[in-house]
Amino acid sequence: MQVRDYLLRRLALLPFIMLGVSVIVFTLTRFTGSPVGIYATPNMTAEEISALEARYLLDQPIPLQYAAWIGGLFRGDLGWSGVSVAPVTDVIGLKFAATFELALAAGFIAVFAGIALGTLAGVRRNRLPDHGARLFSIFGASTPTFWFGLLLLVPFYLWLDWFPLGRSTPEIFSSIAHPTGMYTLDAVLALNAGAFLDAVRHLVLPAVVLAFGAMAIIVRMMRSSMVEAMSEEYVDAARAKGLPNKVVIRRHARRNALLPTTTVIGLSFGFLLQGAVAVELIFRWPGLGQWVTSAVLSGDQATIMAYVLITALIFMTVNLAVDIAYAYLDRRVVLGG
Amino acid sequence: MSENWLLKVQDLSVHFHSPRGVVHAVDNVSFEIKPGETLALVGETGCGKSVTARSILRLVPEPPGEYASGKILLSQDQDQSIEILSAPIKAVRAIRGERISMIFQDPGKALNPALTIGRQLAEVFGEHRMDMILENAGIEPDKASRADKMIAQQRASFLQIRLFSLLRSKKGKALQKSIDDAVARALADTGIPNPRKIMKSYPHELSGGMKQRVMIAQALACDPDLLIADEPTTALDVTIQARILELIQEMQKRRGMAVLYITHDLSLVREFADRVAVMYAGRIVETGPAVDVLASPQHPYTQGLLGAIPHRRTPRGQLAAIPGSVPQLVSPPAQCHFASRCKWAAEACKSVVPLLNSTETSRKVACLRFDTAEKLSVDIGDMPARAEMGEVAAE
Amino acid sequence: MSSVSKQNKKSQQEKSRTTALSVKWARRREVALEVLRNPLTVIGLVIIFLFLMMAAFAPLLVEPNQPDPYQSPRDWSNIDAAPGVAGHILGTDSTGGDVLYGIIWGSRLSLQLSLTVVLFTLIFGTIVGSIAAMRGGKLDNLLMRIVDVFLSIPELIFALAIAAVLGPDFSNIILALAAVFWVKYARIIRGEIIRVKQADYVAAAKVVGDSQWNIYRKDVLPNAATPLIVQATLDMGNVVLIGATLSFIGLAQAGLTEWGALVSNGQSGLLAGEWWVSTFAGLAIVLWALAFNLVGDGLRDVLDPKTEGR
Repeated sequence: MQVRDYLLRRLALLPFIMLGVSVIVFTLTRFTGSPVGIYATPNMTAEEISALEARYLLDQPIPLQYAAWIGGLFRGDLGWSGVSVAPVTDVIGLKFAATFELALAAGFIAVFAGIALGTLAGVRRNRLPDHGARLFSIFGASTPTFWFGLLLLVPFYLWLDWFPLGRSTPEIFSSIAHPTGMYTLDAVLALNAGAFLDAVRHLVLPAVVLAFGAMAIIVRMMRSSMVEAMSEEYVDAARAKGLPNKVVIRRHARRNALLPTTTVIGLSFGFLLQGAVAVELIFRWPGLGQWVTSAVLSGDQATIMAYVLITALIFMTVNLAVDIAYAYLDRRVVLGG
Repeated sequence: MSENWLLKVQDLSVHFHSPRGVVHAVDNVSFEIKPGETLALVGETGCGKSVTARSILRLVPEPPGEYASGKILLSQDQDQSIEILSAPIKAVRAIRGERISMIFQDPGKALNPALTIGRQLAEVFGEHRMDMILENAGIEPDKASRADKMIAQQRASFLQIRLFSLLRSKKGKALQKSIDDAVARALADTGIPNPRKIMKSYPHELSGGMKQRVMIAQALACDPDLLIADEPTTALDVTIQARILELIQEMQKRRGMAVLYITHDLSLVREFADRVAVMYAGRIVETGPAVDVLASPQHPYTQGLLGAIPHRRTPRGQLAAIPGSVPQLVSPPAQCHFASRCKWAAEACKSVVPLLNSTETSRKVACLRFDTAEKLSVDIGDMPARAEMGEVAAE
Repeated sequence: MSSVSKQNKKSQQEKSRTTALSVKWARRREVALEVLRNPLTVIGLVIIFLFLMMAAFAPLLVEPNQPDPYQSPRDWSNIDAAPGVAGHILGTDSTGGDVLYGIIWGSRLSLQLSLTVVLFTLIFGTIVGSIAAMRGGKLDNLLMRIVDVFLSIPELIFALAIAAVLGPDFSNIILALAAVFWVKYARIIRGEIIRVKQADYVAAAKVVGDSQWNIYRKDVLPNAATPLIVQATLDMGNVVLIGATLSFIGLAQAGLTEWGALVSNGQSGLLAGEWWVSTFAGLAIVLWALAFNLVGDGLRDVLDPKTEGR
């Protein structure tokens, strides 16, 4: 089966691409300062540091250094995060959970609202909803996330005080256990409605801001593929069968228009990961983005590199998942190499 | 005058609004179709024949399209008739697929690539044959509860969320079987072998001829009074064309339905049509019994069309193409559209629109100079039959 | 072959070249006219023109600060002044920096950033993609796997890591973006060349016996260039968006008149009700990106309508 072969090849390629990413990240760590910086803690003595250098083969040729670094990665040794004052491995899970929750919420908003708006625009082509959708998508592509976030912060946080900053109210946070690190999910698991509401209240504003850019892409793609689908003959044929307009649009036009849109959903997830950097900074969301910005400002190499590695891994995984979804949705798919 | 008509198109004009101006795609077209009759609407690409056909089912998109004038009447019981263009859309939906069906030029494009064949046919039954489905599942239509109907509806449309069906799976299964049986029967009826297997296929898994058979099965599922066949064979291999047309003819005979062919293929007209209407640049220029029109075309355009067909006795190199090209239909001048290409055109032809006038019983032509125009008579026995054309192409 | 016929052939070649040229120019004029028919594209062009004027005549519009014009002059008597106060049309920030000054001189930085990055990545990406496509085989495979690796890290995040390693400086932002943005062009041009190479006229040129370089220069590149032009136009805006995000995070030097940095400066004031610094600076970024998006979309509609939505 062709589709399965394609997916298997994609899967087989994944480790190699990850290897490439690791080479890039490794190169970056050798760019400035002393390479031992990613492992050293602030209060180390000179002897301790030279012991570290010996341990990670930093006095050896570059390929051996790389091997030692990679070996560290596989043992879960990503170095010492200066900003978190802890080994990277200890904190990265929590940071990931925070960002994942935010990106997932934003992704849901972007996908569902984007598909709905794009469908409407495609059906009512060249009329008000269409003009609105086009305006929305061009502004979405032109507005920097950090600025949009600040703009929404003023009315909804400063004036109305509807949505608080941060991830949760401290008392509520400590009232439940956090096995997953995704606070909404944790609240559901703890069957605590108050904690759930609190988590949602914190989540809404950053998620909406983050969704904006990705939604613009999805609206745009959905609109154009919907316009195309509506002009297909099978839509006329469905009408000729006597089906109601709603069924014609949903079952015949939209179903087919969703296919090309699926491909940009994976792409737009990259926008979510990127946008999270500024959004987390503005809304004080303690995820990967906030973590990396403070690392950037304090020159914390280990954190930055770990961040790049994990982001690339997430991005590739999501894209692979989207490819699988695409292949499932479209059984006719003939995937080119 | 016999009032025995099934469909009557009166003075139909369809305009399209484009950035370059208003396109008069169909201009004051009138014709009628009697029950069981076969009418062929003939013309070149872009002459408005497809738009006319789609107007009958009110399928022209508005905007950019607009039904500028005219009526389309479909006769109903007891000398009543319904006007399709002004009827509420619900009434029109009840006609589509139930009393008037349509098959399209390219079955590959007219079937939804994302749905199985069975699912696409089931939709028709779900829309028009709910009572039958309920009955065959052992539920009396009058006594069916809302939930029963919803289950049937969902089974027919194969919705992903089958909440009700899950709750009452026994009835759901019976309904499913009833729908599947109906679909299989419809497919088998058009001579499709192994319908149960075809039902589960996606369109891309079938050949072009099979897809068109499926389209026909779908169109005839509810026993319509009129089948509109818009270039039903153009996209098919020559060898399959004849078989599809014969299938339509056979179904027509068995069910007594009327067929409206939209075509540019005169040999199809000769073999399958009772009457013919020739369209040029949005207007009907000549109508009459197919045999008569083909044997002695009266309009210069029809003559040109016939002259452009290769005959057995036409010497090589003497195939006459019509000089010039079809005029632009944006704000067309009030004149005979064919005047600029016509060798008999006179001054008068460029100042008035010629109307369709009776020339003989049951024949009409829209030409001011048809008296003067040289009479062409064609020995229609000379025209190559489809089977022969198929052979030629196969060689 | 006699010399006469040779000469004849030469003049004929000349003639066909001039007609080909005039056809080319006529086609270009046609495209330009069609592009200008879209009012949105015209709006975009006007905004771009105004920004260019702003950048070009910055020293005439506001007197440059000494010694470094890319640091706002500090008016310590007017800190956090609202728009309209004493010669500060758009107000001042928390260190007395004039917002209008920042926006005007910031346009020079945005222009510098986007032009440098787009020109470099366009050329470098085209070279890499062309080599991959023209050579094919193992080299193609290797180059494209490198492209895959680059594409697996979102642009902003990759650039962030590079800029962070290099240290907070605007020139490092330029460098980082240039290191990241070329992959798109390499991928586009490779796909286009492979598509064009299959076209008949290239096969015809091969039969005629043109050298590979000539085929590439005359037949392949001009026909493959369209999507590159569209992408480059869109990237003129994208680069500034991402560059501004990086300096918003703090990767430009302190006090720089860069739009993203200005928004960051105004952030604290924003929550104190001093909305003007962040709002105006951000508006400049939006207008810049919007203008290039409008023109890029307009170009795509005319040149390459099939790729809409990508």
